[in-house]
Amino acid sequence: MGKRIELVPMDPHFHDITIALYQDSMDGGLVLRVHTYSSIPGAQDRVAFIAHAMSILGGMEAVSNGVSLLRFGCGAPHTLASRRVFLEACKISPSAPLEPKGLSIFDKKSDQEIAVASSDSGAYKVAAAGGDSARASAVAGGLAKLAEMSKSEMNAAQVAFPCGQPHDALVGLLLGRALNVRAALREDEMMATRGTLVAPSAQN
Amino acid sequence: MVTAPTPVASMTSRQRVLAALRREPVDRTPVCNPTSVATVELMDLVGAPFPDANRVPELMARLAATSYTELGFDTIMPVFSIIQESSALGCKIQWEQKDNWPTVKMREPIWTTPEDIKVPSDLLTHPDTKCVLDAIRILRKEYGNEVAIIGKTMGPWSLGYHCFGVEPFLLMSLDDEGKTKLCLDKMKEITVQFGLAQIEAGADALTLPDHATGDLVSAEYYARYLSELHHEFAERLPVPIILHICGRTVDRLGHIAETGMAAFHYDSKNRPDEAIHAAKNGIALVGNINNPETLFSKGPEQVRCEVIQNLEAGIQLVGPECAIPLQTAIDNLKEIPKAVRDWHRERTSVN
Repeated sequence: MGKRIELVPMDPHFHDITIALYQDSMDGGLVLRVHTYSSIPGAQDRVAFIAHAMSILGGMEAVSNGVSLLRFGCGAPHTLASRRVFLEACKISPSAPLEPKGLSIFDKKSDQEIAVASSDSGAYKVAAAGGDSARASAVAGGLAKLAEMSKSEMNAAQVAFPCGQPHDALVGLLLGRALNVRAALREDEMMATRGTLVAPSAQN
Repeated sequence: MVTAPTPVASMTSRQRVLAALRREPVDRTPVCNPTSVATVELMDLVGAPFPDANRVPELMARLAATSYTELGFDTIMPVFSIIQESSALGCKIQWEQKDNWPTVKMREPIWTTPEDIKVPSDLLTHPDTKCVLDAIRILRKEYGNEVAIIGKTMGPWSLGYHCFGVEPFLLMSLDDEGKTKLCLDKMKEITVQFGLAQIEAGADALTLPDHATGDLVSAEYYARYLSELHHEFAERLPVPIILHICGRTVDRLGHIAETGMAAFHYDSKNRPDEAIHAAKNGIALVGNINNPETLFSKGPEQVRCEVIQNLEAGIQLVGPECAIPLQTAIDNLKEIPKAVRDWHRERTSVN
């Protein structure tokens, strides 16, 4: 099965089943496996849908010998980004249309359009329509945190994937979260502490 | 070290656990969680999710059995939560969903004075206590003498938190020692009645959580309020008792070791070597594998390291420090028995 890297304890779209993302090695590379232990009818279809949604939203490739196996074309694991893609894919209703998100978004916080320009070398430059360089840098910092991208030393609004390859769908998906990365991280923390039993004296 | 200097014949899980609780020689260190190893993935695997698995005997038994059948532990513990008898006492319960623990609404206490304390006539027939008794019967019937079945009955200090509220109960203990002792004395009958009923249903041993936790209750408090009561439980409940107290507790381990209880389920805030030293061979120790940082957040390699630390220190039963987080990965849990077996195999081959 490999190493479990993310878990959705209750799938809101399919009978509250638990679905997890595992990272495993195959043919000398790393693959991602969407898995559930549930055997209720339809559970495997739901898993297949999530894997398909991840391939579209995150720009990942389906591995030929398994419906729920995925990988990035570049061969890099992009672990943190994969977790985020999985979490976003689990939120999508099976009846919703699946399409990759674009490289621009309206930022309510700064009341302006934020756009990301891609290059072939896996670098992405964030720009704010109003010329707000501080906001552009903050969004770039958010992308760096969410996808383990490296920040450019020359330009605070530029980040790059360590694999040196472009991942436009992935950046498009993460851009919305990068606008408020603190909220995204807080949500992660809350998810992680849920399900931990504490002594009565420590309960709120 | 409890592992015999001369080889011990192969034991069943039940024999191994009971021998370790008596601090007698074992064929290998047993793997035990006296609290809970339920996870959301195990719930899916056997179709027994929370909250129903806390309220329906068949589901409770089915989920609990995964400890033995899927993870390879030597024990089965069906009482996942700490609220079953409090529900029977009349406390309001938030049952939560699959991914969270049921809790007592302690901000809505049911008692304020010792006179309020009444053991209801339906304590053992209330659906939430009867569920535990029925689940133990199912497990005993299904697994016979193969595996140790552990029950759970809450101690009076924990019941005090649940029924009086944490703050009022602690304030009472500061202001009025006599009143507090009277409350504890009355509540201890709940602990005994529920414990005896579980023994009758087939429990081999009982976990007795009594949350005199290191952060709020001092060693002096433990000696003043609980030591004598715990001694009484060890006398009145005729199976091995495993006391569970969270937090740093080495300062009171000497007192605990004198109660006559069989074992103490101890927290990772205490190092195995210092806990063994403090226990002075007066009580068996179980637990210690860290939950939030190791079992939940790290991988099998780190789990293995902590298991080995416990084995090297001579801890009698190895397992998680407390009820594991519901999102814990199955591979991390399976690593505990695997590491124990490997460690013993290596020692055997060296000798």
